[in-house]
Amino acid sequence: MTLFSIARKNIRQNFTNYFLYFASMIFSIVIYFTFVSLKYDETLQATSDASPKISSAFSGAAVVLMVFVAIFIWYSNSFFTRKRKKEVGLYSLLGVRKKQIGRMLFYENFIMGILAQIIGILLGSVLSKFFVSILMGVMGFEAIGDFTISLAAIVNTIIVFSLITIITSFQGYRLIYRFKLIELFQADKEGEQEPKSSFIMALLSVILVGIGYWLALQNLMESNAWKAMGFMVTPLVILATVILGTYFLFSTLTVYLLKMSRKNKRSYWKGINLIGTSQLLYRIKGNARTLTIIAVLSATTLTAVGTAYSLYYNNRSNVGLANPNSMMFIDQDKNVTNQVRDIISNNKNHDVIYHESIPTLQINADVTTLKNNLFSNEMMYTVISDSDFNKLAKVQKRTDKLSLKGNEAAALDAGYYEGMSPNYIGSTISLKVNDRVENITFKSLKKYNALNYYTASTTVVVSEQLFTQLGKETNSVKMEVYEITNEDEAKQLTKDIQLILPVEARFSSFYADYSAGMESSGLMIFMGGFLGLVFLAATGSIIYFKQLTEANSDKGRYEILHKIGVNKKEVKRSIAKQVLFVFALPLIAGIAHCFVALTALSRLMQTSLVIPVVICMGVYTCIYIVYYFLTVNAYYKIVTKSK
Amino acid sequence: MKTILQAKNVQKVFGTKGNLYKALEDIDLEIKEGEFIGIMGPSGAGKSTLLNILSTIDTPSSGEIMITNQNIVRMNEEQLSDFRRNKLGFIFQDYNLLDTLTVKENILLPLALSKVPANEIEKRVNEIADTFGIREILDKYPYHISGGQKQRTAASRAIVGNPSLILADEPTGALDSKSATSLLESLNALNEQNQSTIMMVTHDAYAASFCKRVFFIKDGRTYTEIHKNHQSRQDFFQKILDVLASLGGGY
Repeated sequence: MTLFSIARKNIRQNFTNYFLYFASMIFSIVIYFTFVSLKYDETLQATSDASPKISSAFSGAAVVLMVFVAIFIWYSNSFFTRKRKKEVGLYSLLGVRKKQIGRMLFYENFIMGILAQIIGILLGSVLSKFFVSILMGVMGFEAIGDFTISLAAIVNTIIVFSLITIITSFQGYRLIYRFKLIELFQADKEGEQEPKSSFIMALLSVILVGIGYWLALQNLMESNAWKAMGFMVTPLVILATVILGTYFLFSTLTVYLLKMSRKNKRSYWKGINLIGTSQLLYRIKGNARTLTIIAVLSATTLTAVGTAYSLYYNNRSNVGLANPNSMMFIDQDKNVTNQVRDIISNNKNHDVIYHESIPTLQINADVTTLKNNLFSNEMMYTVISDSDFNKLAKVQKRTDKLSLKGNEAAALDAGYYEGMSPNYIGSTISLKVNDRVENITFKSLKKYNALNYYTASTTVVVSEQLFTQLGKETNSVKMEVYEITNEDEAKQLTKDIQLILPVEARFSSFYADYSAGMESSGLMIFMGGFLGLVFLAATGSIIYFKQLTEANSDKGRYEILHKIGVNKKEVKRSIAKQVLFVFALPLIAGIAHCFVALTALSRLMQTSLVIPVVICMGVYTCIYIVYYFLTVNAYYKIVTKSK
Repeated sequence: MKTILQAKNVQKVFGTKGNLYKALEDIDLEIKEGEFIGIMGPSGAGKSTLLNILSTIDTPSSGEIMITNQNIVRMNEEQLSDFRRNKLGFIFQDYNLLDTLTVKENILLPLALSKVPANEIEKRVNEIADTFGIREILDKYPYHISGGQKQRTAASRAIVGNPSLILADEPTGALDSKSATSLLESLNALNEQNQSTIMMVTHDAYAASFCKRVFFIKDGRTYTEIHKNHQSRQDFFQKILDVLASLGGGY
């Protein structure tokens, strides 16, 4: 019997033991292959004519995925070999040479690696077709051509996973050399001791997380802490304190709290609490690192997916903010303007809701008084009169009205950010008209636009009287604004108008921005969602593996309990409680971290992220709960299975 | 005197059709309150099977078993758990202590499971710790104490809930002679002073000589039983050895 055939037999006969490892390898390969084949997919590349972004984004994400997948496989491999130490020890005891055992383990791993690759690529081919259609859907493309499996993707996947397989196989080969025989037999014997806890460390963990949170929630522009440490260092400090704090939180604060709870004899000495609490206490320290990794991964995933989803979700309102009118351009030539009017009014798919021609003045202003270092000293403003503003506000269905007198003015700034944008109200700026200077004072600020930002940039509203007076000294420019029905579907119309308008007309349309936003945010949400799912599956599996390892070594304890007269219901309740603790801790920490990160982010991006983020967290938690029940059931089965 | 345990025609068959193996055949056994009974027999005689069945961990193929007037054969899983918790106490050869709990917590576990109030638990544990002389090690963990101490902890756990019947499975099997004697003396004292009913399965004639009655089985059948009555322990020990010699084999 050759070594190779022993190895093959091993796999066939202990398939259940190998299954978890094998399944996680296949899972990794399917994910990676799917992702890479999307990257090389021709239809996808052809359809998204606009973006070289796509391929670079995919390349970046593929690297992240590769690193992650490698770590994941390595983790499940070490979980798997730990289970087999005893078997390896037995071979050695029976007199098989170390070299032979090593080679056998190497072959075994290698066979599994190759098999996993074949299955993975086959499954991946089916799945990637499905994913391409999802991606097209979220990006707002309709056309889906024939999806073909690209050779490049297969080659890429084979290279990456062959490397990983060789490394893990070599790891297996080394197993027999790394341990003494006696250590192999004592693989699962534990010498874990009750962890020590200190109040100071427990306090420190809370303080560290607190500092991180506090820093993250500061107003970037005004905080002294951010100023002192700088914009590059502070985020790193936040990361470091929060991660370290989380680790201490799990390794000491939980121990401390569990020990405190043990002091309360009335509840501790009641039924299964005694078992559950002591079991947790015994294990928690060894688990702290895993729990921290999971909490941080969860937080990252949630934040990334939450942000991507918010962009996608808020795309319409963001685009609407920049483009209050469906279409807008500068009237430069009567003929062309009339032509555009005809194109729009003759179009059967869209009705005109309103059409206005707004007289505006393009005036340079000295804005040194606004004291904003992000601006230069001089800015070009589009000036309109308050009556025109009121007219626009009315058709745009706003209840606002402005009535300005003399040199009073109002600023329209949809991108206003407290601390970053200038303090308009009360400030005086000087409009430069010919050689003269006209001072105006801002009386109010509206955080929206009345004219599309791309065409008009920042708009200043002045009194009718001042507008007429200024109009005499500088050339008036007419701006054409249109609002149409189904503005988000005006692909053809936008294209037609673009063709006849010159660049100087500064044509802007809701549709163009909207579709560009859908494209980029759709891509982001797809990648975020894809990576998020992978991380989620991986974190869930890591906890699952870990809990099952513990279940195996806890088996003896539950046998004792069974003999003493603990019934199965109580055992199940105790397990459910313990596992809940292990699952809930990192999830709660992850959600808390993510919540803080997104609060900071939503301030910066000036959009409310609440709804999309709550949806993300909800989905994440639901999948997590499924993992929880799977784990509880598997754990229960392991410890109650009689010999 | 009240009857604690009554077993009638207990049979246990292992294996499937065509390959049957009778581990126990027609065992009748009666234990009265306050008895200290030893079960002896060569390896493979069915001692452990009998103990497992009496301790409700295993079920007989046929026969009736009444413990404190309750038929344990007809009970379901749930009722059995409660029964074990409330009526039985166990001492095992390999102690079966939970290494995640301190000695004290191990002892009070059955009381906690029965939801006894905390202050009463405290009282009971201290009483028992004094009986077995393990007061100083109450806050230690099992891997910090000796085998003898572990077994005394296990014995404390077995009697803490005032069980109707204490079942001991080779309690001295893993102990050195000094610890073994001390444990047996404790069990004896428990039997004499508290009128605890104890059933002990053992290999060891010396351990069995502490009992008041020894029940012998061979190849799954009742062989004989002898009573100590008013003999000295040495004489009873000699008598046990005689029976073992007639049993033959297996040692």
